[in-house]
Formats: sequence, structure tokens, C-alpha cells
Amino acid sequence: MSKLSAQRIRLGLLLTALASMIAGCTALGKNEVFFGKVTPPPAQVMRYVSGSETESLDNQVGSGNNDIRIYMALSEGLFEYDPKDMSPMPAIAERYEPNKDSSEFVFHLRENARWSNNEPITAQDFAYTFRRALSPELASRNAYLAYYIKYGQAYNSDSSFVRDPQTGQFLLAKDFAAPVGAAKESEAAANGSIPAGEDPALDTPFHHFMHEPDRVTLSGDKKEREAALAANPKLKEAVKGKEFVPIKPEDIGVEAIDDHTLRVTLSQSAPFFVKLLPHTVFRAVPRKVIEQYKDAWATPDHMISSGAFRLKTWKPYDKIVVERNPYYWDAANVHLDEIVFYPVQDAITVMNMYKAGEIDAMANHQVPGSWLDRIRPLRDYMDAPEAGNEYYDFNTKKPPMDNKLVRKAFNMSINKVEYAQWRKIIRPLLTFVPGEIFPGYPAPKGDEFNPEKAKQLLAQAGYKDDQGNFDPKKFPANQVEITYNPDGSNQPIAEYLQAKWKQNLGLTLPLKAMEWRSFVSARPKLEYKGIARDAWGADYMDPFTFLNLFYTGGENGCGWSSPKYDAMLDEANRTLDPVKRYDLLAKAEAFLLDEQPVMPLATTATNWMKKPYVKGMYPNPGSLHAWKFIYIEHDQSKWDNGMPDMKKTDAESVAANR
Amino acid sequence: MLNFIIRRLVVIFPMVLIVVTLTWGLIRLAPGNFYTGEKRIPPAIQENIKRKYGLDKPWYVQYGRMMGNIVRGDFGTSLSYPGQSVNQILARTLPVSATLGLTAYLLALVIGLVAGTLAALRQNSRLDYASMGLAMLGISMPNFVLGPLLVLIFSLTLYWLPPARWEGFPSRSIILPVITLSAIYMAYIARLTRSGMLEVLRSDYVRTARAKGLSETQVILRHVMRGGIMPVVSFTGPVLALLITGTVVVERIFALPGLGNYFLNANLARDEPLIIGIVAFISIIILVFNLLVDISYAFIDPRIRY
Repeated sequence: MSKLSAQRIRLGLLLTALASMIAGCTALGKNEVFFGKVTPPPAQVMRYVSGSETESLDNQVGSGNNDIRIYMALSEGLFEYDPKDMSPMPAIAERYEPNKDSSEFVFHLRENARWSNNEPITAQDFAYTFRRALSPELASRNAYLAYYIKYGQAYNSDSSFVRDPQTGQFLLAKDFAAPVGAAKESEAAANGSIPAGEDPALDTPFHHFMHEPDRVTLSGDKKEREAALAANPKLKEAVKGKEFVPIKPEDIGVEAIDDHTLRVTLSQSAPFFVKLLPHTVFRAVPRKVIEQYKDAWATPDHMISSGAFRLKTWKPYDKIVVERNPYYWDAANVHLDEIVFYPVQDAITVMNMYKAGEIDAMANHQVPGSWLDRIRPLRDYMDAPEAGNEYYDFNTKKPPMDNKLVRKAFNMSINKVEYAQWRKIIRPLLTFVPGEIFPGYPAPKGDEFNPEKAKQLLAQAGYKDDQGNFDPKKFPANQVEITYNPDGSNQPIAEYLQAKWKQNLGLTLPLKAMEWRSFVSARPKLEYKGIARDAWGADYMDPFTFLNLFYTGGENGCGWSSPKYDAMLDEANRTLDPVKRYDLLAKAEAFLLDEQPVMPLATTATNWMKKPYVKGMYPNPGSLHAWKFIYIEHDQSKWDNGMPDMKKTDAESVAANR
Repeated sequence: MLNFIIRRLVVIFPMVLIVVTLTWGLIRLAPGNFYTGEKRIPPAIQENIKRKYGLDKPWYVQYGRMMGNIVRGDFGTSLSYPGQSVNQILARTLPVSATLGLTAYLLALVIGLVAGTLAALRQNSRLDYASMGLAMLGISMPNFVLGPLLVLIFSLTLYWLPPARWEGFPSRSIILPVITLSAIYMAYIARLTRSGMLEVLRSDYVRTARAKGLSETQVILRHVMRGGIMPVVSFTGPVLALLITGTVVVERIFALPGLGNYFLNANLARDEPLIIGIVAFISIIILVFNLLVDISYAFIDPRIRY
């Protein structure tokens, strides 16, 4: 008996010791203002966790933010993302001029731009870069961002022009009214002559070609071509006896007028086009190296880079080290000597490395949900609205969600404000375009939480009892599944929605979890019942990147489209006055919200940490960082004691508007 | 003996082809593909990607090409890491996983054998209870609990060891992953050794050895140990093969550039050539190690002849 209790006491002591050790670790959190060690590295070397392993170091290949953040160190384009608000700031382009309807842009490149081998970066390099982005052989997933370039989409889809072998004349889109290829008539198509008083060097044969009436383009894929011809008998007749001329890279609307002047012609008005240009798919890539080494060009042995840094080491799944590019045009203002990117996937490992002071900052969305209560109050936590939203798609092609009243009722019976409080780090969203990040955008009003009205709408939709009141038993609840992929917080979110619809409408909807790859391939095909989780992150800093999802043929998961909506967006994009344009976009959004093909939930928020001694780094709407502005501050009095100031200084505003 | 080895080697080849074919079929059955992501991409771009990687060809062409590659010993190019060949990836990641796995196994072997032997020789003593108690703890504690616990204590509280990443062998960075990985095997080996030894200790030939006047040390080393470690040897084959080819959980917790991490991501990414390459490679290793184990029986156990 006494022996047994002695053993028990010893065991108890051991367990207590272990427990207090673990508790000790967490108790560190009591009075801390920063998470873990705050000792800056001695040199200007930044250590950063970039997320999953990069797909490739070719800045036109990878499409995830984990890739893009690394590309931003190694490559530079005509424009760079402003570190604070991600608006386009001049980089290799010093200035630009749009034409009068924003369907053509002339970019003037700085003369001192250099590759990392000291050769000049020219307009020809950009023409090559833009053509490569669209080439079907490269098969870049980001190619769609360049579809606005004239014949860009057709070239990327491997399409052909149609020519009469006798006369050498090409078939023109305007003669075949039905939508065939780039049938949208450009406003400026009238003629390619340059207005009097302008530089006559700009008047080139290619420019005239760009301003000829749009040619018919037909898909290179036989099946698609036949479908297009079947849909347009007049065209089918006209094509007989004609030859197909495949669209060449040189046919797309990109022209190097001289070494430092680049002209880009679009197939439509796109006032937002410049906002697209900081994207890494548009950043200069070196033709010579790519042609010599093919897929293996972006490796430490061969790579030549256009950015502020050049590649030093790449050990996949281990680290990527980039070092200062001495030939970079603005090298004098680059602060960091090296950046070390660690591809670490596991969020808890990232947090451990950060706490132990092994890294100085981390990629976005790394702090696990269960840690937020403890981490959020700390001064090195970065919490700002993001250019992204969370929503659920309604399957508008199948009952009961093909009924607008039902969709509206479902949307109204979720309290977005309460939802945001429950989620902690997001902002409630009643509209589709995320709030706070597009200054000056007059966001429309979405429907507020109103469960009573929701029930009335459902009754109106026909799900009612004899008294005309909503009767949950009449609703085909088995035709609606809350469909999602159970990654991250998606599972609890789906359960939350399930509980709220039960509570507010009396409907018990089943949950359906799908593995991520299966889910993302089923959703665009509308292979789900009723409701499916969805989200979108901005491709560029303009509300159109969100609204464009619902343009007919857009890549949305709800199956909704409307010619009226398309026309409203087109009208907005033809409008040059930015204030009026935003008004028109907001009107289109109001129309969209009234149709309610989706249920908006939230504007997402940044969720990452940086040590206080890391300066020049901001939780901008994409948490995409222009690395050249970042530095390690050794003077403790200048550290960021909380979120860095996101307001632009006057000098910065001036620089951005140059 | 030679006959036996040749017969077994001949079987390996068709076995690998069967495993590969089954894997290939399973990848086809899994919904989704390597290029679909959260951001939907236009159909034209999907077509470009399919054409680029030959996925627009009929299934038998794709299967034939894959099999042709394997027979030539070239597993093709990864889909999720364009420009990197599967062979390159294997060559780069295998040393990391193998170093980690072998070190962990050696540690487990040394400590497990010693603890198991001592426990068997002093059966029902405090030493026996203590080592078997620890072994029980080692078996019950999964490495995704042990790893973070060790990190919490040694990296985040005491700041002695780095919490993650690979800095080569030898370095301080491998201490925690090796311990995390070896704990469960250490425990198994200790228990296997103990039970194996206990059985042998009671056997007739040990009694004979004692009776003919051998010293206790000689009895243990020459007779008991040889028979006692047989279960450990059988255990070693498949376990060593798995350890060398990567252990997903530990590689992920400690962010190590090993094969396990690639294998997991290749599956999530539906990266067919990479999955097939790794599966084929792991099957070869497992089959070869099992063969080696079978061969080693002949040397350890005088009763076994091929």
C-alpha cells in the first residue's frame, strides 16, 4: 500500500512538473507586447516564410500569392504595386498616355532600366513578355489577365483569322453580327492615324492594322470551331473555300515603337488596364535566356532577372535566397542585401519559427484560427481589410435556387454582422465588392438581416400553408446542400450557416463536405445542390475584378448571367471620368445584388505578423510587398509599435501620380 | 540461396508494374486535376495546359507513355513543379529523408535493444517496469503530439534548438526531428526485444548452453541475443523502407525538404508523374528491404536455410 502510494506521488510530481513546464511556455504571453524574440538580425537580411513551395521561379507561370511574393523580388514590370495600397506606381515605365477611350496606351520606359547582367531592358523585352504571357505553348494560368490586349484571347485560344485566298481579304467580325471571337467593336477602331501634332513616329503600319475593323477569329480546336460555325450559318457559308491563318504572337496588340516606347492596343475600353500591369505575369522576362534554356531558365545557374534582387540559391522545399541586383536602376534605394524565403506550409511551424526569432515576417493567413485570441492583441499582428471576399454561390440553374425570391430569403436570414463577430478577423459584407479598400467607390446597399421578410419572400415563392404563411415543410430542403471543402475554417462556417438557417427559417439543410480539388472542379460545373462556398481575391485594385466574375462567360460558380448587367459594365468601362465610372460600376453591382446569385458574407482581412524592426512593410489589400522598400531598423526608437501607418505621405502620393 | 534471391528479384519488377498501374487508375478516379484551383481559369487556358502535358490524348496513349517512361527508369516531369523532373526531385529529397530515417532508426535500434535486453534480463524489476512504461508512452504518443511538445520545450522555452528547417547532417536542426521520429520505433523495438528475449531465455537450447557451463555473458550474447532479436529484424525491413522514403508528419512539422512532404503535396495536387514516380520508388525499396531481411534471417537464425 505504502509502496503504491509512493509510486503515485512520484508519478504525480512528474506530471505536475511537465504540466508546469508547458504552462510556463504559454504563461510567457501574459505581459508580452510582441510574440517571442524581437532581436533584429545584424545585417540587412530579411527572413520570410513565403508559404507553400513555389511552383516555378518563372514569373509568368506560378499563380499563387506564395509564388507572386517571390516574383516581386526577382522581377519588375512597367508598374509596381504601391507598398501601402497596391495602386500601380511607375517602375520601368516612367509615364504613360492613354488614348481618349482608354483602349490604347503608350508607355515611356526609363532609359536606365537594366537586367541583372547589365543589359538594358527595352520595349522589345516587354513586347516579348506580353506575347509570351499569352502564348498557348506556355499555357500560363494567368494569361486571362492579358485577354484585354487586342487578339490576345484569340491567340491564347490558338485561334485563326479567316482569309480569302483569291483576294487576300480577311473576314471581318462586323459582317457577322453574332458573337464570334473578338466581335466587340473597339470604339477607336475607326482609323489608326495619329492626331495632328503628335509624334509621327507613332504612326506605324502595325498601328493601322490594329485599327482596321476587327477580324473574325475562329478557334483552333476543331470541335469548338464547328460549334461556332453551326451557331452562325452566315459565317459558315462565308468560311467555305477560305483558308485559316493561325494568329501569330506578332498579331496581338503590342508594339515596340522604339527601345523605350511601348504601345498596347486593347480590344475594348479598359480604364483599369494600368492597374493590372503590376501583376507578375506582365513583368519582364529575358528572351535570350528563355530561348536558350527553355523550362530550366529560372534556375540559379541561368536566371537573369529584371527586379531589385537576383537569384542566389534555390533549394526546393528548403529555401530561396535572393541578393541585391547591383544593376537595378534604383539600386541605390534598395535597402536589403538579401531576402531568404522559406517555403513552410504548416502554420504552427511558421508560428514557432516566428516566435523563436528565426524569421522576421510571414506570408498572409498564417496565424491559425485557434491562436487569434492570444495573437490579435499583440503589436506585431497585422490586421487590415483585404481585397478579397467570402461568399456562397447559389446554383441559379436548379430549383429551388433558380428563384430569386428564395435566394434573397436565404441571404436575408443570415446576420452578417453577427457572423463577422463570431469569425473575429473579418468585416461583415452585404455587397459583393469588398468594403474599405476602394476609396471613392460608392458601394450600393445590400439587403440587411431580416428573417421576417425572408419568410414572407419564401411564402411568396410558393412555400406556404393555407393561411399564406411560410411553411418550412413545403420547402424542398433535401434539394439544398451546404457544399464546401473542409479546409481551414470552412467546416465551422458551414455549420454556423446551417444552424442559422435552422434557427431563422426552420429549415434543416444537410452539409456536404468535398475534398478541395474535387470541390473546385465540381463548383464551376454547377455540380452541387443549392449552395456552395466561394471566395475571390482581387487580380488588380479595381472593383471590376470582382464585378467581372458575373460578366457573361465569366468564371463564376453560380451560373448566373444577364445581358443587361454586361451592358452596364461595358458602359462603365467606356466612361473616362473615374468618379462617374465608379458610379456606373456601383449601379451594376446594385443590379447584381438585386438578382442575388450569391450570398456575400465578409470582406476578408490580412492575418500575419512581422517583427517591429521590419520597416517599410505594410498589410496592404493583398499583402503583396514591394521588397525594395523594406529594411531592418536597428534603432529601437524607430520601430513599429503596432500597425505601421498606412496613410501615404505627400511625397509618396506625388511619386505615385507622376 | 542464390536461386532464392534471383527468384525474388524477378518478382519485384512485375509487382512494381502492378502497383503503378493501380495507382495510375486511382489517380484517374480521383476528381479534380492539377490545374484547377480556387481561382477558376477559362476553358481555353485549361485546353492549353492539357495540350502542353499531353493530357488531351486518349487514356491508353497516356498509360503507354507512362509505362514506357517507367521501363526506361525516367519518371517524366512533374506537373505541379514545371521544369523539374521526377528523377531530380527523388535525387534531391531522398538523401534528406534517408539521413533522417536512418539516424532515427539507428537511435531507436541502439536504445531499444539495450532497454529491451535489460528489461528481459531483469524481468519484473523496477528497471523493467520503467523501461516498459516509457515504451508504452512512446507507442501511445503520436509524433504529431511529441514533435510540437519537444519544440515547445526546447525551441520556444529554452531556445536551445531550432524549431524547424533542415541544415544538413550533422547539425543541431536534426536533433528534434530525429527524436520525434525515433520515439515510437524505439518503444516498439524495446518491447519486441524484451518479449523475444524472454521467450528465448526459457528455451531448451539456452538451458543446454548454461548446462554445458558457458558463462552468462556468453549465453546472452551468443545464444539469447541471436534468437531474441529475430522479431526486431522482421520489423526492420518494412519500417526502414518507410523511414528512408520519408515520413510525412515529421517532415511537415519541422518543414524538412524530404520525400514525404513531396509525396503528400503531389497527391493533393494530383501531380500524376510525381505520384507514380514516388510510389514506384517506394515499392521498389520496400520489396528490396524485405528481401534483405529474408536473406539476413539465414545468417542470424541457424535454423533457417534457403
